[in-house]
Amino acid sequence: MSASPLKPHALLAEFGTAADIFEAAILCRDAGFSKWDVHTPFPIHGMDEAMGLRKSPVGWFTFCGGMTGFSAGMTMIWYMNKFDYPLVVGGKPLFTPLYAFPVSYEMTILLSAFGTLFGMFFLNRLPKLYNPLFKNERFKKATDDRFFIVIEAADPKFSLEATRAFLTEKCHATAVEIVED
Amino acid sequence: MNPASRFSRTWLALLATAALFVAGRLLGAEHEAAHAAAPAADAHGHGHAAASVGVFSLKQIAHSYLTAYMFCLSLCVGSLFLSLAHHLFDAGWSASIRRVTDTVASLLFPWMVLLVLPIIGFAWAGQLYAWFNIDPAADHALDVKKVLFNKPTFTALVLLLISALGWIANTIRNWSIAQDKDGAAHWTSKSRKLAAGGIFAFAFFTTLICFYLMKSLQHQFFSTMYGVYYFAGSVWVTLITLYLLTFWLGQPGRPLEKVYFKRQQQDLGVLFFAFTVFYAYIHFSQYFLIWNAAIPEETFWYVLREKGSWKWVGMTILFGHFFVPFLLLLNQDIKRNLAVMIPVGAWAWLMHYIDMTYNVMPVIHPDGLQLTFWDPLFWFGMAGLIGFLFWRKYQTAAPYPLKDPRLKEAVTHHEVPAPGAAAAH
Repeated sequence: MSASPLKPHALLAEFGTAADIFEAAILCRDAGFSKWDVHTPFPIHGMDEAMGLRKSPVGWFTFCGGMTGFSAGMTMIWYMNKFDYPLVVGGKPLFTPLYAFPVSYEMTILLSAFGTLFGMFFLNRLPKLYNPLFKNERFKKATDDRFFIVIEAADPKFSLEATRAFLTEKCHATAVEIVED
Repeated sequence: MNPASRFSRTWLALLATAALFVAGRLLGAEHEAAHAAAPAADAHGHGHAAASVGVFSLKQIAHSYLTAYMFCLSLCVGSLFLSLAHHLFDAGWSASIRRVTDTVASLLFPWMVLLVLPIIGFAWAGQLYAWFNIDPAADHALDVKKVLFNKPTFTALVLLLISALGWIANTIRNWSIAQDKDGAAHWTSKSRKLAAGGIFAFAFFTTLICFYLMKSLQHQFFSTMYGVYYFAGSVWVTLITLYLLTFWLGQPGRPLEKVYFKRQQQDLGVLFFAFTVFYAYIHFSQYFLIWNAAIPEETFWYVLREKGSWKWVGMTILFGHFFVPFLLLLNQDIKRNLAVMIPVGAWAWLMHYIDMTYNVMPVIHPDGLQLTFWDPLFWFGMAGLIGFLFWRKYQTAAPYPLKDPRLKEAVTHHEVPAPGAAAAH
């Protein structure tokens, strides 16, 4: 244990209803915070807009995965059936996109799904083994009946006192507490 | 990117695709000419005339009329499907645009029944379906199908099935109008029950109608995918038509102003995209299974359609009906971008018409695509008539189901103020 006091990791603000946190999210967005997040027990429609989130770039990973899958499927069948070991089956041509299509199509779906999943992991810096929020007792209610806004201390606009006042007075949080690192 | 440049870029992409296939068609024609010296030995002679027919022949007029009819029928059955689906899923979002689909679908009776009469006339005159002129005893393919493919059954069933679909459509529309007056929920539950049976009737009847009107042009053909193939293309073209129509109706000062939101626009765009894929999946499945099995009773249908410029028409359908709209609409936000959706809408109309042409015309023009002035005349004439009848009927009732229990869901949406706007309150 170091002698210096624990550094604050973030401020945790609790809200009682979806409507309250929705309004509060709009205020946080307009206040210009960048390192903050909303945690709710269920998805809230329009929250991404209320938070001012950009459209996720994960679609590009999906697209690239899909294109890779399609071309890999076509190339694989061409290589195996026409190039490496030519074999006539049922009097069909050695290679045609026609019979290669079902397999390429399945490969498109498979690699699109991989692209989506691993692209999402990559963008979210996952897997991440530890987050200071895990130690917080109050935060456990995020999976039950409470709504939370977390503003990290690393945010350039973060100031322990001013941000706490902002969350209590302007956003009407029912409770605000410091999450220690 | 500004909307204007996105608009022109979309058009450019579509035109480039079109140009590619015109070029391909010309090259194909030259290729054909080079081989014209060798007589085409078609030993099977599967149900198509030996040579093209004249522009002013009854045969040409009959086939052009049939193509236009199948196009317009698509809009009606597509709309009926969407109305039925709305009730089956107990959907919320589509309540506000349902009066539009109800009304288009209700044109099935009496209008589409009246418009099918010339087709029945042409058929009896021996100008459309080869099997009308053949003795079943002399044609095995017809003999095994004569239970359905005989003149009285054809006439009765075509009229009856279109009327039956029209009855379902009109009943659902009338119940919804009755609900406008008293707001009673039982109209909705009655519609749901009718839709539950109606969707089966819809599937069987639509399949039989397009078997009779379009597939029986070559009565030897076998394909269980044919009905769902026509259905997929129909709903596809209906969705983009509905997208543009309801967007127009939803503008300030127009009938759907209060009930049409971003949500309806996005969902119609997404459904259109889904049916772009579904159509391709269905049409590919039909082609692929026939190609793979390689049974002459089935392959002759596509063999005819790979001769001359029909090959390029097929390619146009493959790329223009699927790849171009698929790649254009992949992005989520594009589905609300009118600069893209308006050209895509015009393109979809063209593609669906070409698709109908691909089904009908090779029978009388086996050497390749041959458009006559009858084609646009009947196409725009009948679509214009349907549009006029729709508009006249649409104005006889409220523009949306006023007291639908789900209407509140359709108009409850989440509009989030833009950054900075929240400070005002």
